[in-house]
Amino acid sequence: MGKRKVKKPLSKRFRDIGEYLYDRTRYALVTIHELLSRPKYLACFFVTLLIFLFVLNFFKDGDGNWQLICSGLPLERKFVVLGRVCISVFTSLATWYGLSILLMSTLQALVIILLIFAWRHRQKDSVLDGASTGGIGAIFGFIALGCPSCGVGLLTPILTTLAGAGAMAMAETISGIFTILAFLLLFFTVIRLGYINFVTISSEKATKPKKEEKDAKSH
Amino acid sequence: MQKAIRIIAVCVAIGFLAALLIFNATKPVDYTPWEMAMTKGDKENAKHHFIMYTDIFCPYCDKFSNALRANAEEFQKTYLEDNNVFFEIRITDINYTYGHSNNSRPAGEGAYCAAAQDKFWEYYDTMLDKLYKDYHSRGIGVSKDSEHIPDLPAGYFTDVAEKGGLDMDKFNSCMDNDEMIEKLDANTNRAATALQTGVPYFIFDKYKTSGFLGEWDAEGYDWEQAKIMLDAGLASKR
Repeated sequence: MGKRKVKKPLSKRFRDIGEYLYDRTRYALVTIHELLSRPKYLACFFVTLLIFLFVLNFFKDGDGNWQLICSGLPLERKFVVLGRVCISVFTSLATWYGLSILLMSTLQALVIILLIFAWRHRQKDSVLDGASTGGIGAIFGFIALGCPSCGVGLLTPILTTLAGAGAMAMAETISGIFTILAFLLLFFTVIRLGYINFVTISSEKATKPKKEEKDAKSH
Repeated sequence: MQKAIRIIAVCVAIGFLAALLIFNATKPVDYTPWEMAMTKGDKENAKHHFIMYTDIFCPYCDKFSNALRANAEEFQKTYLEDNNVFFEIRITDINYTYGHSNNSRPAGEGAYCAAAQDKFWEYYDTMLDKLYKDYHSRGIGVSKDSEHIPDLPAGYFTDVAEKGGLDMDKFNSCMDNDEMIEKLDANTNRAATALQTGVPYFIFDKYKTSGFLGEWDAEGYDWEQAKIMLDAGLASKR
């Protein structure tokens, strides 16, 4: 006779999930702290953060800026457009919308440095896993940006192409759902990669003293 | 296997976005003016045809229009005269259709009633001045996150028509009998089908774009932004 499975009560299951998430987040934070204390990773983080901030600000109002860059405007006017986007990276931080872009860019930059670390330590499976989940999160975040009803945002054309003009009424709601999905996917990618890299860093640290001991003995 | 599916999903999503950009760029445009009363410039001799799809209760549309109105002289001279631009406004009640503002409907209906008297610009200018004074200047109805403009009584729109110098008997009869509702609905449907996005939407010859980045600074930043867009239109060839 096989063992009868005992179902855990719902509250216990939630507590377990909470504890699991808490632990993983803690490990991820330790990893992030460790990586950001290394100058190369810190520089990489800031460069990636700035790139994401620029790209997200460039497209936060739909394809308006892109259309101006593609237009027949003289080059110096195109630089004005790019300059305005650069300025808006900082000025938009005074708004909730700007702060959400900053948070999304930070998560994306963290995913990138965690991926680089995993890649350099031959965690190929984790890299593929993290890159695809993080990539989907980034795409969700990218198309959820903007104000669909104001004609700014990349989501509305996608929705209306798929489901007709009537789908525009749902654009605002779907945009909200996509934003939440983007944050969740990026957050869980950071936690997952953070934990995997924590294991790598820990084993690195554990083998280092042994190596040093061995070296000392051989000398 | 799961990983392969994920990678394929990412590739499909990116490919879809790219296809969409190409698909949207090749949409045909109907250049026949919807209402001659809602245009500026000389259609017969125009070198350029600039179209703005709008909704009177769309704050970003009003920002653009306010920038043009605050710099009417320069707009008239540089764009309408020197560059032979034919400028057309296409009024919709898209924000009513998609549940964002009940005021869009009477405001749009009023615009078509005013156009029937060939007094669209008087109605439009008075409406934007009043909206700015009553709401936008106080931060109400300026963005999707700001406090919304409440549902306005019919008197608000008749007041605008009266101040704009319209024939009030004709205007009231037009509004009371919903004479322009069908036209407004038909035009909103045309816009929604053609644009597949919200308003404002601009078709300045070959340069097409949606949304307007402004800061309610009609004579400074907003005008500069509007000029970049108008110049992008001039630089494109139909």
